[in-house]
Amino acid sequence: MKRALIIALSLLLGAAAGVGSAMVVLDNGQLLGQTNNDYWFGNRNAGSAAADPYTRGIVAKIGLLALNRSETIYFHRYKDENGEALREGCAYELSGGDLPTRWWSITAYAHDDFLPVNGQRASSVDATQVIRGEDGRWTVRMAADRSDARNWISTENAGAFSLSLRMYNPEASAREDESTIAFPSIRTIACGEGAS
Amino acid sequence: MTGWKIALLALGAAIVAHLATIFVAPFVLMDAAIERISRDGTVMNQWIHPPRTSEESRRVVRPSPDLAYSACVYDLKDGPLHVTASAWDDYMSVSVFAANSDNIFVQNDRQAPNGVDFILVRRGQQAPETRGQIVESPSDRGIILQRRVAPTEERFAMADAARRDDVCDTIAR
Repeated sequence: MKRALIIALSLLLGAAAGVGSAMVVLDNGQLLGQTNNDYWFGNRNAGSAAADPYTRGIVAKIGLLALNRSETIYFHRYKDENGEALREGCAYELSGGDLPTRWWSITAYAHDDFLPVNGQRASSVDATQVIRGEDGRWTVRMAADRSDARNWISTENAGAFSLSLRMYNPEASAREDESTIAFPSIRTIACGEGAS
Repeated sequence: MTGWKIALLALGAAIVAHLATIFVAPFVLMDAAIERISRDGTVMNQWIHPPRTSEESRRVVRPSPDLAYSACVYDLKDGPLHVTASAWDDYMSVSVFAANSDNIFVQNDRQAPNGVDFILVRRGQQAPETRGQIVESPSDRGIILQRRVAPTEERFAMADAARRDDVCDTIAR
């Protein structure tokens, strides 16, 4: 009787540990990273029938209904230029130029993988609406307040947030070799009080 | 039973439970999305045109506020489905996701400049006689998703008008 109880208990504990470790993996979008470019990471098999079970599981958790690579390339970013987590308490400058794709957008998501709840309707910038300089390049302020920025992504109520870069109908060069993409860069302006 | 045998048993159970959870997760998450989008299965085999994406959009993770989405939760148990989406003057696509979350089909406005039009059938199911495009789904259930680039209120209103006559409907036998 005692032996049966010990066996049942060990099986139960083992199963609980197995399920728990799987949930930790599925909840960690950063484990999806197969390619990493200045902290922008993606996975070549996202959305594809060729995806391994881990890729399929993580994509289903953080990007359900993602299109396959022939149509769209997705990149995610959780860290600033120093490898620190992006967070609401800091102000950042996101900058870049034209991307090798038909249309692109960059969106900020709160920790729960949904848009931050702040009533600002300013969670993203896209290729058609971003205001560019004379040289074609653009700069976006990512902070809780807009200040005097021409382009703004509001991170109010975002907590520890992340960015998703979508590239629809990417050029062949970008699909075949992601290192050729001039990824937008991030610069931390300030953190803590006064950052907003 | 010795201590190391018990530890081995627990380890075995952990590995099996871990792999099973990873494998089953996409099916569970898709099923949850199907239930949410179809309002607990009451709105199947028809397009649903939600309002513009906002912070209140919480049916599917990481929605883009720059896209007008339409979704059709399908169930092919009653036969094939006819799917159409009207033309759009910017990026537009219609994609099909099987029950395991795989993106099994996508067609965009460049590939179908006059709009997307296809018949969705269950793999192995008799396809209707048609000269049109046939798409095979490996599962009975899944989600069809339409995306139109519409980053402003004005463009969203135009997209909303454009998609009103789109079809996602079981073909009458």
